[in-house]
Amino acid sequence: MSLSPILRKVFLVDLVKGLSVTFHNQSEKERITEQYPLERPVVCERYRGQPRLNVDPDTGESLCIVCNLCALACPEQLIVVKGERNPVTKRKQVVSWTYDISRCMFCGLCEEACSTDALELTQDFEMALYSRDGMVLDQAALEQGQQPVRYAK
Amino acid sequence: MLDAIKTYLGAGVTPGEAGSQFWATIYILAITLGVSLAVIAMNWLERKILAHMQIRLGPMRVGPHGLLQPFADALKLLIKEDIIPANADKLVFWSAPVVVTMTAFTTFLVVPFGRTHAVTDMNIGVLFMLGISSLGVLGIIMAGWSSNSHYPLMGSLRSSAQMVSYEVAMGLAIVCAVLMTSLNTSGTGTLSMIGIVEAQQAQGVWFIFKFFPLGLIAFVVFAIAMVAETNRAPFDLPEAESELVAGFHTEYSGFRWSLFFLAEYSAMLAVSSIAVTLWLGGWLRPFPNWLSGPAWDLAFSLVPGLSFLVMAAGCFLGTIRMPRLLRAQGIGLAVFGALLALVGLPMLLPGVRERVQDIFWFVAKVAFFMYLYIWYRGTFPRYRFDQLMKVGWKVLLPIGLGVLILTAVVGMRQELLAAVVGGAR
Repeated sequence: MSLSPILRKVFLVDLVKGLSVTFHNQSEKERITEQYPLERPVVCERYRGQPRLNVDPDTGESLCIVCNLCALACPEQLIVVKGERNPVTKRKQVVSWTYDISRCMFCGLCEEACSTDALELTQDFEMALYSRDGMVLDQAALEQGQQPVRYAK
Repeated sequence: MLDAIKTYLGAGVTPGEAGSQFWATIYILAITLGVSLAVIAMNWLERKILAHMQIRLGPMRVGPHGLLQPFADALKLLIKEDIIPANADKLVFWSAPVVVTMTAFTTFLVVPFGRTHAVTDMNIGVLFMLGISSLGVLGIIMAGWSSNSHYPLMGSLRSSAQMVSYEVAMGLAIVCAVLMTSLNTSGTGTLSMIGIVEAQQAQGVWFIFKFFPLGLIAFVVFAIAMVAETNRAPFDLPEAESELVAGFHTEYSGFRWSLFFLAEYSAMLAVSSIAVTLWLGGWLRPFPNWLSGPAWDLAFSLVPGLSFLVMAAGCFLGTIRMPRLLRAQGIGLAVFGALLALVGLPMLLPGVRERVQDIFWFVAKVAFFMYLYIWYRGTFPRYRFDQLMKVGWKVLLPIGLGVLILTAVVGMRQELLAAVVGGAR
């Protein structure tokens, strides 16, 4: 601005500038609030949220080969995998699989360690519960993944 | 009964002029109701507009676009526990919100919403308004003192200092406008609110454009002083949240607090209506000279009804754009739009629109000031107390005095010229 400071003061130039900023902010395009339960937020692709055990989409069998790498990688040691060898197929099969999300810090090391991409931290983020009871996930819960409640009100 | 109503409405006088206590009561009730409704609307509008200025949405969940939020808040305040601090001066604590609210509502006695739409035409109208509205500071000091707590006392002392210093500049600006009313053949001015608007009508110019830029400067001085007078941002030091919790009403809760809220907003409406009456031609429609003639008169008299219909159309558009999940809210918005249309349609009728249009123009101008209040609040940071005093005493007061002297000189020069040339205007 080439106006001298005294003229700026007299004609309240700076005040008017500020007013114009707030006036233009009123446009609907500027608004950044998202109405969460109504419209779901776009979560980043590499966000690490609710864990999921993937199954083979064709056969429906678990991709987990019970190698125990995830349990070893976990700094919190919250993954417990138990398996036994299937005498027919000669492959290891899951007997019990538990994942304690109450202790999880979502570092993603288990996901990195998994050799078959069976374990995956998904973009689902609605993990709040009313008690600690549901926080230890078993194989069924992990394979099912999160079922978000549709908001309609 | 019907004949009495018809003769009164046909007479075209205020209840004060007609000497009718019945009509005065009706007018007072209507104005009290109208002001309360305006405060409710203001509550919602302030939250929405402020939110939009800060790139937020504001209330969205209670009713369509949060339209029922003020009612929910009012209900909450009514059922809240009413606390009186143990060591408070109970009588003063009890009467402070009453004093504040009563003074804020009393000022509306002389506000002319139209030539016939005022309770009374007091010949000292402006003086009355100023006197009553500065009495409101008494209630604020009472509230601060009786709370027996530090923050409220600090807030109320700030408030009184602020009111005293800005009252002066405000008074000088008002004298400018009153001086302009005396520029007629008889040479006598008036303090009557209706008289001031009629003077603007007779002189064919709103006082904001009179002796350009003198009228404008006086108006700006008043517009700044009026924000300080009502303790609003950026001069909201008496209730600065970051410094004084809530200022003079820190210890108040529930219904008493809501009385302070009501008083604050109706005081804003009152000073805005002084500004509208003195400088913006009160109930007169815009462009009286440029767009004159019966065709334009008709066009402008249709504006009130049409603007309601436009608002209704906006509501219907909002209903269409509402997400499918929120069907109930969409229907609510449509009902609100239908109500607006129902209000707007009778305003297009010939008999009604003549009586309604002056109220509409007055309210529209006041609404502009209300928007300005919100706009300031959304934009400007709070002044420091010494800056506030500096602006009041070192800037506004000299400017006000200078404009007053210049207005007098310029006004007298015209009279002198007319005398020299030899013909009275």
